[in-house]
Amino acid sequence: MKGARVLTAALLSLSALVAGSPALAAAPQESVSPQPARLPDGKPNLTGFWTPIGGLMDRNFGPGAVARAPRSAAGGTQVPPAPHSPLKSPYKEKYEDERAAAARGEVRFDPTAACLPPGMPRMMSAIYGIEILQTAGQVTITAEWQNAQRRIWTDGRKQADPEELLPTYAGHSVGHWEGDTLVVDTLGVREDALIDQSGLPISEALRITERMYLSKDEPGVLINEITVNDPLVFTTPWSRTYRYRYRPELNLQEYVCLENNRNVDPVTGAPTFDHD
Amino acid sequence: MTRIFRKSWAMLALLALGQMVVVPSQAHHSFAMFDQSQQVKLEGVVKEFQFTNPHSWIQLMVVPSEGAEAEQWSIEALSPNVLMRNGWKRNTLKPGDKISVLINPLRDGKKGGNLILVTLGDGTTLGGGA
Repeated sequence: MKGARVLTAALLSLSALVAGSPALAAAPQESVSPQPARLPDGKPNLTGFWTPIGGLMDRNFGPGAVARAPRSAAGGTQVPPAPHSPLKSPYKEKYEDERAAAARGEVRFDPTAACLPPGMPRMMSAIYGIEILQTAGQVTITAEWQNAQRRIWTDGRKQADPEELLPTYAGHSVGHWEGDTLVVDTLGVREDALIDQSGLPISEALRITERMYLSKDEPGVLINEITVNDPLVFTTPWSRTYRYRYRPELNLQEYVCLENNRNVDPVTGAPTFDHD
Repeated sequence: MTRIFRKSWAMLALLALGQMVVVPSQAHHSFAMFDQSQQVKLEGVVKEFQFTNPHSWIQLMVVPSEGAEAEQWSIEALSPNVLMRNGWKRNTLKPGDKISVLINPLRDGKKGGNLILVTLGDGTTLGGGA
């Protein structure tokens, strides 16, 4: 324990040193895993606050830290889209139009800019982090971004009949454990949500499968393999993987987007930049 | 110390790798309105500091040239949840404070931009989270 304390102190002074150097920004502290490692039901313990690896909370964390990388790899203004399969018509044409507008520097309407929830699967990009609460029969995930929340029912219930569901931003999620992997099926996501900031669209046929598990190689790393299956929008299902780091030193912060939103015209809903 | 440094470099390498494979973060809105190929440094006096969601704002009075009337700039920064983790407090900026800011300016030429970093009167620099 004493050794661990010395190591922690050394790491803290190292991070203070690094934080003073904008070129390097700050390295996060040594990763740790949630404790206890397993809950009384034997399942891996996912409860806690997690931030995406390589994201904002890694990139510029600590006093004085400055972003080390531009917002996109190209140094431009566009966020690369999710690694999706080709789109089908008419979604393809509409999406290409959106992308062309973004390339010209035009700001198009994005529901999250109007303080609407990011929804699924976008909320799992978790820019500011996610809080996972694992309780009997239910896993609750809150994204700090927009305070977006979802519930994954793990009480053995069947997925709902899509015809009976009122589409919501988070959709309707049921989960079960396959060994140490939480497998989640999501239906019933609103069609006016977007998959990502690039504007990838959603249809009523969207079905999302997630496989969440703790990395066996890296302590304190949660992996979420997300598969998007939307046969109306995409030619084939496609997947992406998010990796999150356990951050016991951080807590979910309040984020009420309607507090002072100067980026959307309150009357027309159009993107804007309110100068006063 | 050797071990610690090795760990840290491994972590930095991991971070660098992470940045290549992880899609850059999404924030509250698109940043297409800002010209990220340009950086502008402004010196001025704080008129108002809004430490708010979804974004924070600095209303900065800038004198464009000697003897001219001060012009108001609107500088956008990230939300308190990010900034507080980077050392900001609600009273980091107060009306009347003389500061300088580095920004990506608005594309449309209006007086506004996205904060890269701020330098306070005592020389302290804080990242804007952008």
